[in-house]
Amino acid sequence: MTPIPIIVDCDPGIDDTIALLTAFVSPELDIIGITPVCGNQPLERTVRNALQVCELGRRTDIPVYAGCFRPMLREPIYGQFHGKTGLGNTVLPEPVKTVEPRSAVDFLIDTLTAAATLQKRITICCLGPMTNLAVALRMNPQVAEGIERIVMMGGAYREPGNRTMTAEFNVLADPHAAHIVFSSGIPIVALALDATHQVMLKPEHVAEFSNVSGRISQTLAELMAFWDRNDVRRYGSRGGPLHDPLVIAYLLAPHLFTTERARVFVEHESELCMGQTIADWYGKSGLEPNADIVTKVDAEGIIAFFLDRLSRYAEKAVA
Amino acid sequence: MSRQRVIIDADPGLDDAAAILMALASPEIDVLGVSIVAGNVPLQDTVANACKIVGVSGRTDVPVFAGAAGPLVREQVFGKYAKIGAFSDDLVARGDIAPSEENAVRFIVRSAREAAEAGEPITICAIGPMTNLALALIQHPDVARGIRQIVSMGGAFTALGHRTPWAEFNVLADPHAAEIVYRSGVPIVMMPLDMTFQALFTAEHFKSFGARGGAAGDALYNLFSTFDRSDVARFGRPGGPIHDATTIAWLIRPELFTSRKATVGTQVTGLTMGYTYADFYQKMDRTPNATVVTDVDEVGFINLLIERISLYGSTVPGPKTPGG
Repeated sequence: MTPIPIIVDCDPGIDDTIALLTAFVSPELDIIGITPVCGNQPLERTVRNALQVCELGRRTDIPVYAGCFRPMLREPIYGQFHGKTGLGNTVLPEPVKTVEPRSAVDFLIDTLTAAATLQKRITICCLGPMTNLAVALRMNPQVAEGIERIVMMGGAYREPGNRTMTAEFNVLADPHAAHIVFSSGIPIVALALDATHQVMLKPEHVAEFSNVSGRISQTLAELMAFWDRNDVRRYGSRGGPLHDPLVIAYLLAPHLFTTERARVFVEHESELCMGQTIADWYGKSGLEPNADIVTKVDAEGIIAFFLDRLSRYAEKAVA
Repeated sequence: MSRQRVIIDADPGLDDAAAILMALASPEIDVLGVSIVAGNVPLQDTVANACKIVGVSGRTDVPVFAGAAGPLVREQVFGKYAKIGAFSDDLVARGDIAPSEENAVRFIVRSAREAAEAGEPITICAIGPMTNLALALIQHPDVARGIRQIVSMGGAFTALGHRTPWAEFNVLADPHAAEIVYRSGVPIVMMPLDMTFQALFTAEHFKSFGARGGAAGDALYNLFSTFDRSDVARFGRPGGPIHDATTIAWLIRPELFTSRKATVGTQVTGLTMGYTYADFYQKMDRTPNATVVTDVDEVGFINLLIERISLYGSTVPGPKTPGG
């Protein structure tokens, strides 16, 4: 089977890192580029983290392109659960791999317009604020025709927000970009807090991951341990929601997810509700659905899926 | 004095045509390129019009780049004179310019970053909706560092709007882009309607373009003869403004203008979308981000534009030595 060509647009980030490490050992995916953006951390840091994660995963063959250094209109906000460096307390070696000279936006435009011409569309995995994609779409609308679909982590529908009362971080960080992407007509699979809060990475899981993941085991255990929100009142248990990795799981194991189609709107005008995502579940807007929103996730199946994938780092060490 | 290196970001458009021709005839200005955005008319027409205008100027060394086809966030609106669309061959003779392959935004990013690297920042004359500029500024911090100033035709204060009761067209057409530019840290020189409404061109002036300006002058005469731009009820006398050309005049002869420092911004949503404010009296306790040009020497500006367009009649402008 031909691997699915993907671009990972991200802001690493602890959960981005777990997503990348999973994608790295999945032969079903052809990762043609990683495009870090300003998000959980300033751009300089997300780029550096992406390079370090490529080295950790021994996938230095994948090019990393630096994206936009700020959101479109709003001042940057950064993540609260990723520590000072974006990778918790984990210290990875100074990267030898370097960022590509071409910018992420130029890479997206060049690659996706070529994909449109060749009719070989590419899947975009959005794990951060969607500034890069929004800028590319506005610079060249033909970009949309080169995208098979967008599988994105972001938003909160029936679930309240995680950064404000109504907004999830990735959408809040650049609500104008999210609005542009949701208005683009490109097929979107939305993994919002409604989905990601169903899969808690609990302390007992961390031990399991540590046991199976071979040469990355220590780093992975550190990252995952740092991810514990220690907020039972909100999440129903210890641990942290497995936000970004679900994007990769959705591509590889869609049977673990249930979706509902709806029209999605992004609030970008009201300061109180800035970044809120609203789904038209009951056809009130008169507009066609533009997204498949994940409503249910098989949490046990997901943990088993990631254990299987990340255990490949042990096999690789043996090989 | 060394020549000012300028990118003209435009949406031609009649006024844009006058501004571009004025710049290309002016030895004080080195036009690095003309970057085009949708605005007065759709992108394919603004690009075709820019290619024709550069063609009729004889400056075939100046590249034209196509940029954003619509505003960042709001729905698209076109200019009041949008029905002119692409300039017909009757109005502007066909030139031999084709747009560059490079995207206008990429061109702006590249030029500004090179300028930042060289420590020789460039000037941008923004005479359409500022979508291209906003898209460039988001991408890399060196873009802002490489731009010395953005001379922007846009906004309106006590003059009130000409497209809605409150808003000037260029800002209204992409208020989010305008706000990104205003907040970018790049010094802004703002040419609002309050000032551009002070210099009114009449049919006599347009005739001077035609009589003295060669092929370029003919084109301007034809373009400005298609619509009567006067608004006696508003201006108190006949004649109409050529808004965009004030940006070029400011670069060449700043002594024709009066200005004040202020913090400027715009409303991006709601009924007053595109309304621009200026804090002339320091109520916001912010360091001013703009030089707001408040007054123009009408006769001086009109004569300067006619003088520069006349250069197309006296000599054939060549690359690097326009006007002889």
